[in-house]
Amino acid sequence: MLKTDKSLEEMSKHQVVNYLNETVKPEEGVIPAYLLGDQKVYDIEHEKVFLKTWVFVGHESEVPNKGDFMTRELAGYSLIITRDGEGEIRAFYNMCTHRGMKLCRADKGNKSLFTCPYHGFNFKNTGELVGVPLQKDIYGGTLDRSEMGLHKVKLESYKGLLFGTWNEEAEPLEDFLGDIKWYLDLLVGRAEMEVIGVPQRFIVNSNWKVGSDNFVGDSYHTMVTHGSIAKLGMVPNATYSKRGFQIHMDNGHGLNLGTPNPDFAFPEELKEEFKSNLSEEQYEVLSNLKNMIGNVFPNLSFLISHTKIKDQFISNTSIRMWRPIGHNKMEVIAWMLVEKNASQDWKDRSRDSFILTFSPSGIFEQDDTEVFTDITEAAQGPMPFIKNLTYNYTMGLHREPVDFIGPGIAYDDKFTEASQRNFYKYWLELMTK
Amino acid sequence: MNVEKMLIKCEFEQWLYDEAELLDDIEFDGWFDLMHSSLRYQMPVRVNKEGVERPDYSTDMFTFNDDIELLRLRVDRLKTDYAWAEIPPSRTRRFVSNVSVKDYIEGEKAIVKSYLLIYRSRSTDIQHDLISGERNDEFIFEDGKWKLSKRVFIVDQTTINTRNLAIFV
Repeated sequence: MLKTDKSLEEMSKHQVVNYLNETVKPEEGVIPAYLLGDQKVYDIEHEKVFLKTWVFVGHESEVPNKGDFMTRELAGYSLIITRDGEGEIRAFYNMCTHRGMKLCRADKGNKSLFTCPYHGFNFKNTGELVGVPLQKDIYGGTLDRSEMGLHKVKLESYKGLLFGTWNEEAEPLEDFLGDIKWYLDLLVGRAEMEVIGVPQRFIVNSNWKVGSDNFVGDSYHTMVTHGSIAKLGMVPNATYSKRGFQIHMDNGHGLNLGTPNPDFAFPEELKEEFKSNLSEEQYEVLSNLKNMIGNVFPNLSFLISHTKIKDQFISNTSIRMWRPIGHNKMEVIAWMLVEKNASQDWKDRSRDSFILTFSPSGIFEQDDTEVFTDITEAAQGPMPFIKNLTYNYTMGLHREPVDFIGPGIAYDDKFTEASQRNFYKYWLELMTK
Repeated sequence: MNVEKMLIKCEFEQWLYDEAELLDDIEFDGWFDLMHSSLRYQMPVRVNKEGVERPDYSTDMFTFNDDIELLRLRVDRLKTDYAWAEIPPSRTRRFVSNVSVKDYIEGEKAIVKSYLLIYRSRSTDIQHDLISGERNDEFIFEDGKWKLSKRVFIVDQTTINTRNLAIFV
């Protein structure tokens, strides 16, 4: 047992960071429980992870038309994301530059002017301040409107996925994503994709890392947590979740890729579109894909799921963010995407399979949230820290990677915890930088 | 309101109270028997819109969008040994009020609007969840009974403050 005389509460930030270095040992498969239950760790995470990396904010298809806007959060701060008259997408801090009032309070809509509810300052969807009530009279021509545009937020897109960051020195998005781009191509680059409707949002009393950890590499839990799905005949059998590959790469990203699949999981009539968007190798993987579950560091998880509903196979593609609200609370935001050129019947069935399996009422989702909540609760307070309770992440430490057609470090079945170790390795690197 | 209309309202109030009792008592099979084979069971995702723009919910994304077959699947799942989300079951209390009969053809069909407040308590957790909303229900009279043929539950939150909807609305 480690230093039981220490108390996280009494430690300085510098001491906490040193203590993380001593106690978090991803390469040995040792992760302490206090990482999920401590406010100080959470505060350092906010500063060193969420204010530093690229964080997902939405999909381009959510603002399809000129003048469309949506509001989103980036590391706890509200953004307005707009598409201007030329079709350019931008992000701004949702704060009036005059007195700091929240400028826009709707989730989405279409307008090119935003009027502050406090004093009526008017901003264009390009960020410029274009109107100030009684300006000449009260400022006597001294107000320089050009200096008072909305605060612009760094925003980049990969295959329609929009990411923002508060870090002006952040590496280009594509560099940050690195090898996971190859798999994101399968997810959202295989065809023109669109978000159906609006994202689902719900609150789970869980630390956000439990969600990322679950999606980055944990297919092992499927046998038990999701045992009911096999019993209902929606997936082949309880051990189907082992078949395939686990892959991880730099910057903490990782995924589990379920293969083979005797059925083609996507709309047959779009095969030409898929081929034209993917490399030969990618198309080969797509053709045999049963499912794909992964996480883009830190908190953007993604999923392709192929299940049998009403005696018919159907796949659905979704992305979800585990948005931290506190050390023991998160908002889950889940988007469902579909091929824009798919038939209406496919779109409807795909959507309904998403609702049935991975929405808040989803029969996969609901059993996960039960587990997430109880893990988080057990990690709270000083005891797990004093007793140095740790989780075991050693599964697969003895195994060697294999050659795989796509990039990254791959293992030839999904039951290993290499992806989780890789997630925490990068997390620790950022936390102790 | 005349006596006849009061009796009709009373009949549907009683139907909704009986339904609430079945759900709160975890009698899912009994509850499922209240459904008509043409059922559409929907809960759209609520959206914050600017000003008075309506509807303020999504018309193409739902938290529930079940027909009778999918609802049967959910009920069957809850009876497997692996439906962890409801092991042990939540303690729920459904409060139904503001019942208003919008349309009524004797022995044929009816449209009824009501308010719903669900209190949910899980395990030993001292916190509880509240789910509030409005139900727009359609009924078909079959074999001497009113059966639910459509429910649209408009929830009062854009971010649902409960860990899942392993319970019915």
